[in-house]
Amino acid sequence: MFFLYNLERRLTLHPSYFGKNMTELVTTKLMKDVEGTCTGSYYIISVMDSFTISEGRILPGSGLAEFTVGYRAVVWRPFKGETIDTVVVSVNQHGFFAEAGPLRIFVSAHLIPGEIKWDPNGTPPSFHDEETTIQVGTHVRVKIIGTRAEVGDLWAIGSIKEDYLGYFLPP
Amino acid sequence: MSDPRDHDQPDDSEEEEDFNPAPADASDDEGNGAGDNDEDVESSPRQTRKASPARNDAADDEDEEGEGDEDDVAGNDDDEDEEEEDDEEDEEIQGHRRKRARRKDKRSAFFELEAEVDDEDEDEEDEDDAEHEGFIEHTEAGEAEQFAREDDARHRELDRRREMENDMDLEQEAERLKKQYGNKRSARGMGESAVVPQRLLLPSVDDPSIWGVRCKEGKEREVVFSIMQRIQQKQGTKDELGITAAFERGGPNSVMKGLIYVEAQRQTDILQALEGMLNVYPRTKLLLVDIKEMPDLLRVQKTPTLEPGAWVRLRRPPKHSGDLAQVIDITDNGLEARVKFIPRLDYGLRDDALAATTIDGKRKRPMGPGPKPPQKLFSEVEARKRHPRYITGNPQTNNWQYNGDEFEKGFQVKDIKIQHLTIKDVNPTLEEVTKFASGGEDGVENIDLKSLAASLKDSTINVTYLPGDVVEVYDGEQKGVVGKATNVQGDIVTMEVVSGDLAGQTIEVPTKGLRKRFRPGDHVKVIGGSKYREEVGMVVKISEDRVTLLTDQTNTEITVFSKDLREASDIGGQGSLGQYEMTDLVQLDPTTVGCIVKIDRESMVILDQNGDKRHVMPSQIANKLPRRKLAVAADRNGAEIRPDDVVKEYGGMSRQGKIVHIHRTYVFCHTNATNENAGIFVSKVSNVATISAKGGRINAAANSADLSTMNPAAKRPEAKNNMGPPKQMFGRDRLIGQTVTIKKGGYKGLLGRVKDTTDTHARIELHTKSKIISVAKTDVVVRDSVSGNVIKNYDSRKPGAFGMGRPGGDRAAPDWSNAGGRTPMASAGAGGRTPAWKTPSAGGAGGRTPAWNRNGDGGRTPAWAAADGSRTVNPYDGNRTAYGGSGGRTPAWSSGSKTPAPDSFGHGSKTPGYGGSGSSDPWGSGSKTPYGAAPTPGASGGDSWGYTPGASGGSGAYDAPTPGAGLLGAPTPAAMNAPTPGAYSAPTPGAMNAPTPGGGWQSGWGADSAPTPAAAAPTPAASGFSYAVNAPTPGAWAAETPAAGPRYEDD
Repeated sequence: MFFLYNLERRLTLHPSYFGKNMTELVTTKLMKDVEGTCTGSYYIISVMDSFTISEGRILPGSGLAEFTVGYRAVVWRPFKGETIDTVVVSVNQHGFFAEAGPLRIFVSAHLIPGEIKWDPNGTPPSFHDEETTIQVGTHVRVKIIGTRAEVGDLWAIGSIKEDYLGYFLPP
Repeated sequence: MSDPRDHDQPDDSEEEEDFNPAPADASDDEGNGAGDNDEDVESSPRQTRKASPARNDAADDEDEEGEGDEDDVAGNDDDEDEEEEDDEEDEEIQGHRRKRARRKDKRSAFFELEAEVDDEDEDEEDEDDAEHEGFIEHTEAGEAEQFAREDDARHRELDRRREMENDMDLEQEAERLKKQYGNKRSARGMGESAVVPQRLLLPSVDDPSIWGVRCKEGKEREVVFSIMQRIQQKQGTKDELGITAAFERGGPNSVMKGLIYVEAQRQTDILQALEGMLNVYPRTKLLLVDIKEMPDLLRVQKTPTLEPGAWVRLRRPPKHSGDLAQVIDITDNGLEARVKFIPRLDYGLRDDALAATTIDGKRKRPMGPGPKPPQKLFSEVEARKRHPRYITGNPQTNNWQYNGDEFEKGFQVKDIKIQHLTIKDVNPTLEEVTKFASGGEDGVENIDLKSLAASLKDSTINVTYLPGDVVEVYDGEQKGVVGKATNVQGDIVTMEVVSGDLAGQTIEVPTKGLRKRFRPGDHVKVIGGSKYREEVGMVVKISEDRVTLLTDQTNTEITVFSKDLREASDIGGQGSLGQYEMTDLVQLDPTTVGCIVKIDRESMVILDQNGDKRHVMPSQIANKLPRRKLAVAADRNGAEIRPDDVVKEYGGMSRQGKIVHIHRTYVFCHTNATNENAGIFVSKVSNVATISAKGGRINAAANSADLSTMNPAAKRPEAKNNMGPPKQMFGRDRLIGQTVTIKKGGYKGLLGRVKDTTDTHARIELHTKSKIISVAKTDVVVRDSVSGNVIKNYDSRKPGAFGMGRPGGDRAAPDWSNAGGRTPMASAGAGGRTPAWKTPSAGGAGGRTPAWNRNGDGGRTPAWAAADGSRTVNPYDGNRTAYGGSGGRTPAWSSGSKTPAPDSFGHGSKTPGYGGSGSSDPWGSGSKTPYGAAPTPGASGGDSWGYTPGASGGSGAYDAPTPGAGLLGAPTPAAMNAPTPGAYSAPTPGAMNAPTPGGGWQSGWGADSAPTPAAAAPTPAASGFSYAVNAPTPGAWAAETPAAGPRYEDD
């Protein structure tokens, strides 16, 4: 789910950059630092606006100036139980991997309806039943049943073993 | 002795109507019988007080034993106690029935007994009748007799009624007594002893003593049974045994094994009783048990009960020790269990080594008693091969007998003594159990999970609940309740119920009925005895007690019991075994390396360089190869690849992955596309092509300045330190042949001629005497060979101060003053510039360069190299240096007219701006940026070159280098970023290379011949460069030299 989220970040600036355009420098640095990162439970998609840059405080010892920057960002947080549209990126007999933007989701064979069978002999190998085939590139609607945070990344397990989940025609 | 009968009849009647002794007595005349009874009752008190109780008791025991072998031995003891009480009662009240009544109070068997007696009588009558009928006709006499009999019956009925009344009284009496002594009765079972004041029950000195008698270990129970038998045999005979009780506290773990305990009044009774019995040694020293210790002896420990279906481990036979077995049945005496287990058969192959080698590998090691054959289900075919005669059985039921062993459906079935089984902490693993399951018909998995779970529950050690665990009650009253464990004590878990009617309450539940509860998606860690211990993963499926999870490490699915799981907070997991970790590169043998792709508890799987997987133990690994971050190889296109670059296989499976290791010609890569080998694959270096290099990322990052480090544009002072190494002198040292004087040492002041030089020293041929000495170059002063004037600039030709960006210290002040500023800026800008100024500006020129470099990517060097194509660090720095140096060295510039400079620059600097900045300097030309003309941020952003010249060059620009100017260069990273590569790459080769040979070089020559500053001026900038890169000929230097010459003269 996407959110507009007010965040705060501390940035440091070398004294050699002190000057009129510090604000610009700081905001640029902020965007560079946070956009596209994952904090553990959500991804920061984009920094929106409303920068409130505090006065710089000189850090004792180093002479760097520390700014506390408040900003508003578009963040995306995958929730347990959330249903999202994904694209299959890899299929194997244990299940398939799908991606929803930056998030990788694994759908275990246990969480695929029984009638959708693994077919190792197809080219490419796929899961399929009479009507649909799940192979690399297929659009699949998945319900997230668990997420796991790794360093700088998120990773989820999904299920298509429910109504209205699984293969869908991309709009 | 009818006393026993009195005691025992009720019991008998209660159990099954077994009157064996009774009819014999009852068949006597009724009156006699009654009298007998009375007499007996009268005699019993006497007996009680004398020696007879023992006998009584013995008889009693015997009878009880007769009733059932299962009778608790402890029970005998109790009965005996009770008996004494009874005797006392007898004393008080006449009438043997009383006791019976008392005994029967609960069971009301009393009435039944009466009826039985009645029946007996009737039977007898019938018998009598039959006799009469059989032998005598119905006559009058018979009538009379019948009458008499009726009369008799009436009398008896009366008697009975009286007796009944009496009995009723007795019953009341019994009630009374029960009230009075009831406590004792309820305390009979030792299990309840906690309720009753123990001291009331404690044995006293009047009670029989207990002796411990040695016996054979493991035979304790047998001995006790045989004692019982003997008592039975001797009962009623003259030599009844004098012991009142016998019991054992054996067991595999008991400290009292090898002993039986016998209770008797006298020791001789014991000796007598145990005389000639097997496995017991009454002649050894008997241990008299202290009265105080007697109760302890009888303390009951709950022994684990064995039920059919339970899992046990075998201890015997040795071949199977440790094997898992399932209990099929328990024998009646509770001593043996019928178990089934997977046989370890070699079908006779081991008898015959030859056969083992020839016959197919079905079996095993050829010889020796050592190794056990592996567990394998019984195969009739195999058995028939070698021992067709030993096998009998029924193929339909699949039951066989082979070599005296029984096999059912492939499993061996055997009666094994319970003490040879390990019952507690069996801990069957799912793998072991699955073997049993797969033995079922048609191989369908049908594990009896319940019994398995029960066995697992028995081993409480393994089930660990911790506060915070989410648990579910699956058994008992609270079944279905889910809660969170808050406290665990022993095997009681206090849990806070989170859902259902009990929500919010705290209840206590024994662990027996608990299991941990997980939900799909939970992140869990495997603990406990499973082979997957330490794996961490996410739950994907739960059925009953079994949880399937997808491991983080290898993305494989494993199934474990929920008891072996814990909620995991950490990501860690099984990633290492000793010093080895996942994806480590290890040396297997001198020619083989491999990458660890899986780590189990004791072994690991390694993908070797040939792409084969190997299971190895840590001990099989020769050593671990450290990860070489700097390893470099060339891919199939010849491009450089390093660890962390992304490469793709060319052909083959076209796998794409990030390089983990490079070892000689092999690359180990990691891909996310597959789970196989944890995503690791191996390929030849020559078979991969770079997709994206890590260096590329660095370049990208280089585009923006790191704002938490020094602004490169503003960096000045330290720049000098960052200058490259001194320019190597090419060709002939210009010092050679010069006339010099020596400044220091013993030869101080002497004049000489330099014959030869090294980097640091000059060999000087003294004029005064024919001697060549070696003097440090720094210690000589160059003099004009004709005038004798000091030519100070020669210093700069020395390695230390050759203008190659040596620290200012080397560049002695004289240089400055002499040359009028070594840098063009200094000279051009103003003669009056303070060294301080110059220093920065010099830095700006020479030093600026590295600063730029730094800005670029902390090394600029590669970037530069990249930008120019083939340029390497040194040339670059060389250039720079050359700039600074040569620039500085162009006093021509400063002193001379700048006019020619523009000329010479003319072709170098094509920018109109140049004209504007005009004199500013060659830098401008080099950078092509109309620096002077437009000292705008844009221009400065154009690059620091612009900045540099600004500082050095035009006076207007001169202001620039001040912090403000610095900002110009510094300000927006964007500004800097964008132009940087362009500015560099483009102008560099062009501006620098092009003018160099032509303008610089030749003009240099020009300068030489006709010292036009112009020539000199542009030269350095370009020439240095060109020398370094394009034409590192000595000539280049030679060219400069003359240029310098004039300068000196100018000065």
